Amino acid sequence: MSASTVNVVRSPLKPRRMAGRRLANGLITTGAWIAAAIGIFVMGWILFTVVIHGIGAWNWAFFTKLPPQGQYSPGHGIANCIVGTILITFGAAIVGLPLGFFGAIYLSEFGRTGRVASAIRAITNIVLGVPSIIAGMFAYGLIVVPSHHYSGFAGSFALMFIMLPVMTRTAEDILNLVPNELRESALAMGVPRWRATLGVVVKAARSGLITGGILAVLRVAGETAPLLFTALSSPYWMTLRGPSSYFGGPTANLTMFIWNSANAPDPGLVRMAWGAALLIIVAVLGVNILTRLLFQRGKEW
Amino acid sequence: MVELMDTTEPGAPPPATRPVPPRLEVSTPGAGHEGAEFDALPSKLSVRDLDFFYGKEQALFGNDLEIKENRVTAIIGPSGCGKSTHLRCYNRIYELYRDQKAAGEIMLDGENILASGTDLLSLRRRVGMIFQKPSPFPMTVFDNIAYGLRMHFKLSRSELSERVQDALKRGALWEEVKNKLNEPGLALSGGQQQRLCIARAIAAEPELILMDEPCSAIDPVATGKIEELVQELKSSYTIALVTHNMQQAARVSDYTAFFFEGRIIEFGSTTQIFENPAERQTEEYITGRFG
Amino acid sequence: MSTAEVEIGTPPGGAGAKAHVRRHHFSWGDPLFRWFTIACAAAVAVAMFVLIGVLVKNSWLAIHTNGVSPLTHVDWAPPDQFGALSSLFGTFVTTVIAMIIAVPLALAIALLLVELVHPVVSRVVGTTVEMLAAVPSIIFGLWGFLVIAPLMGNHVEPWIQTTWLGHLPIFSGTPFGDDILTAGLVLSLMILPFITAVSRDVLKMVPTVTKEAGYGMGSTTWEVTRKISMRYALSGIAGAVFLGLGRALGETMAVALIIGGLTTGIPHSLFSQGTTVSATIALNFGEAQSKLETSALIELALILFAITMVFQALAQVWLARARRMSGSRA
Repeated sequence: MSASTVNVVRSPLKPRRMAGRRLANGLITTGAWIAAAIGIFVMGWILFTVVIHGIGAWNWAFFTKLPPQGQYSPGHGIANCIVGTILITFGAAIVGLPLGFFGAIYLSEFGRTGRVASAIRAITNIVLGVPSIIAGMFAYGLIVVPSHHYSGFAGSFALMFIMLPVMTRTAEDILNLVPNELRESALAMGVPRWRATLGVVVKAARSGLITGGILAVLRVAGETAPLLFTALSSPYWMTLRGPSSYFGGPTANLTMFIWNSANAPDPGLVRMAWGAALLIIVAVLGVNILTRLLFQRGKEW
Repeated sequence: MVELMDTTEPGAPPPATRPVPPRLEVSTPGAGHEGAEFDALPSKLSVRDLDFFYGKEQALFGNDLEIKENRVTAIIGPSGCGKSTHLRCYNRIYELYRDQKAAGEIMLDGENILASGTDLLSLRRRVGMIFQKPSPFPMTVFDNIAYGLRMHFKLSRSELSERVQDALKRGALWEEVKNKLNEPGLALSGGQQQRLCIARAIAAEPELILMDEPCSAIDPVATGKIEELVQELKSSYTIALVTHNMQQAARVSDYTAFFFEGRIIEFGSTTQIFENPAERQTEEYITGRFG
Repeated sequence: MSTAEVEIGTPPGGAGAKAHVRRHHFSWGDPLFRWFTIACAAAVAVAMFVLIGVLVKNSWLAIHTNGVSPLTHVDWAPPDQFGALSSLFGTFVTTVIAMIIAVPLALAIALLLVELVHPVVSRVVGTTVEMLAAVPSIIFGLWGFLVIAPLMGNHVEPWIQTTWLGHLPIFSGTPFGDDILTAGLVLSLMILPFITAVSRDVLKMVPTVTKEAGYGMGSTTWEVTRKISMRYALSGIAGAVFLGLGRALGETMAVALIIGGLTTGIPHSLFSQGTTVSATIALNFGEAQSKLETSALIELALILFAITMVFQALAQVWLARARRMSGSRA
C-alpha cells in the first residue's frame, strides 16, 4: 500500500484574515476575566455588607442574652439561637456522618462495580439534588405530624437527610483515592477485610475524611428551609424537658432568627439579623478556610 | 517490512582499537562526501545556542543544529535527555506552560522564531506536529483533515473536499477511509489514527513537520507503514523526527543528532553516526551500552 | 479478634510437628461488615422512598379534594383557590433569568481556570468561587433583600425604564425592587459557583495531547476551546447546567425574601412581584389556616420534588455520558 503521488496543480490557497480570529480570541479572553472579576466583586460585596451591618450588633449582650419576645428593645441577644444551631447540627451529624461514612466504605470497597452499588450511587446523587425545603417537608410529615408538635429533633432529622448524601459522596471520593496497593498489601498479610479497611485504608484517608465531614456539617449548618416547619424558632432558653426542649418543641436557631427578623419593622431587630448573619459567615467561611489550610485537601484550583 | 535502498559498504575498516559497532542497515542520503554536500544543502531550520528551562531547572544547554530541507533529521538519545523538549521548541508549543522558557535563536528560513514578535498562529501552520499519542480531534475524519484548512484558508466546499482527499492520499490513508469520511476519527485503529494526524498536519501545507516519537504507541505493522510514509513525504516537506528507537532512526533518516543530558553530543549523516561515530558516548549508546 | 494464624518458628518436624492454622474466631466479621456497610449505603435509598411516601400521604387530602385543578388554575388564595400556576410561572421565570446570567459567566470562569491559568490568579479566583458556594442561602436572601432590592428598585430599574428598554412590556409597571428580576439576579449568583465547579472539572478531563494538537495546528485558545474542548466536554457541561437548573428550581430562602410573595395572577413584567413554588410554601406554611391548605402546600412540595427529580436524573445521564466518553477515549 503506497501513497499515490498527487501532482495536480491547484490554485494557490487564499489565507483567511488573522485579525478576525485574534479579535474573537481577545474578546472571549477579556470576557472570561470580566466574569471572574464579577465573581470576586460579588463575594467581596456580600462580605463587606455583612461585616459593616453586622459588626454593630456584636456586643456582650448579643452573645449572652435572649431575643426580644415582643417589641424590640436594646440589650437582647441570640444566645439561645447559637446553642440551638449547635445542638440541631450536632444532632444531624451524629447520625448523618457515620451513616455516610460507612455507606461510602461499602461503595468504595465492595461496590466499585456491581449493579446494587451503581443503583445506590445513582440514588445518592439524585438525593443530593433534593431541595432543602423538601427535606424539611420530609421531617414534618415523618416526625412533626405524628408527634403533634414541632421540635429541634425534627429539624435535626431534616438536616441529617441533606447531610447524608453529601458525606457519602465526599467520603467515597476520598476513599477511592487510596491506592489499591495499600489495600492489597494489607489483605496479603492475611488480615480480614474489615480490619484492612478500617485499620489501613481509613487511616490513610483520615485527613480527607475529616475535612469532608467538617465540610458536610458546615453545609447544613447554614440551612434555613429545612427548619421552617420543623424546629421553627423560639425566644426562650432550651430546657431539658417540656415544650422548650429539643425533643418537645420549637428550638431557637440562628438561621430561622434571621428569616424572622429580616422583614421586621424595627431596625434594631434587623441589625441583630445582620449580626447573626455575620456570625454565621465568620463561622462557616472561617472553619472552611481553616480546614483546608490544616488538612491541605480540597480541589486544586 | 521496510524496503531498503542500496547499502553502501563502509570505507576503510575501523581502527583495530575501537570495537566495531554492529552492522545496521542504513539508507544513504545523497551519498558520499560529508562536509561539502552538507554545507551546500539549504537549512530549513537552524538552531543556535538553544537553552531551555523548566522553571529554574535547565534542560537544554547550548544546542546547535541544522535541519536540512527535504531531508529527514532524526534526534535520538536515552529517555529524559531532552529530545522532545528540543523538538517542541520548533513550534513554541511549550508556551502553553507558564514556567517553561527557551533562550537562543531558532532560524526558520532565516527568521528567528524565538523572537518576541513572532506570529505563533502562522508559525504553527508552517510547522506541523505529530505527537506520541495519536490525537484525532473529536470530529469526523473529514472534519479532522479539514480542520487546518478551514482555520487558515478561505475555501469553497468543493475545493475543501479535493484538498482533504489530497491530504489523505499523500498521507497513505485514502484507500482505507474513503468510505468512512463521516465517521468519528477516534473510531479508527491506532495506526490509522496516527496517519490521520499526519494527513491532518500536511493538509494545511506546512513546510516543516515535527514528529515526536510517532510510532511508540503503535503496533509494528502500522509502524512500518508510517516509516514508509515518512520516506515519501520528505520530497515535499522537511521532517524532524524524535525517536527512542535507534533502528528506526537508522532506517528512516538522512541525518541524526545524538542527545545526552540536554546537550547535542554529535550530529551528522545517519551513515556516519551509526557506522563511524566520532564521540565515545555516541558509540556507547549506539551499541546499547546504556539507554 | 484473631485472624487465621500460622505458627511461624515451629520448625518442620519440631515440637507440634505440623503448621497449625487456627480457624477464624471472628469468621463472621467480614460478612457482618459487608452487610452493615450495605445497610448504611442503602439508607439513602430507603429514605428517598420513605420521603416520597410521606409526601404523597400528607398531600393526599389536597390531591383528593382538588384533583388536577392546581395545575390548571393560577391564583393561590385559600380557602377557595389553590391554583399552582402562579407559583410554577414564577419558578420558571426566575430560573430562566438565573440560568441566562449564570451559565455564560460560569463557563467563562471555568475556561479561565482551565486554559488561561496563571497559578496565583487561579487559586484566588477558584477559592473565591468556592467561598461563594459556601455562603448560606439565607445570607444571600438578607443581602439581596436589604441591599440589592432597594438598589434595583430605586436606581437600576427606574433607569432601565428611561432607556429604550422601558418600552418593552417586560420592563413596565412600577419598579418594586423586590421583584422577579432581582430574585432571578440573586438566584444566578447562588448557582454560579456550582456550575463553575462542575464545568471546570469537565473541561479538565479533555486530554492534554488533543489540546496540544489543536494549538500545534495554529489555533487560538478560543478556537481550541470551541472546536475541541467543548466537543469533548459537551455532555458534561450539559450535566452541569442541568444540575444548576435543579438547584435554581428548589432554592427557597433567598427567593422568598426577595420576590414579594404575590401568589395571584401571572405577572406581566419583570419588575412586578411574584412567587415561586418554594417561596409559596415557605411564606404560607406557617399561616396555613386549614388542614386542606397545609395538605395543598405539601402537594406543591410534591410537584416541586417531581420537577427537580426529572432534572436531576437528566443531569446524571449527561454526566455519566461525559465520564464514559473521556474514560473510554482517553
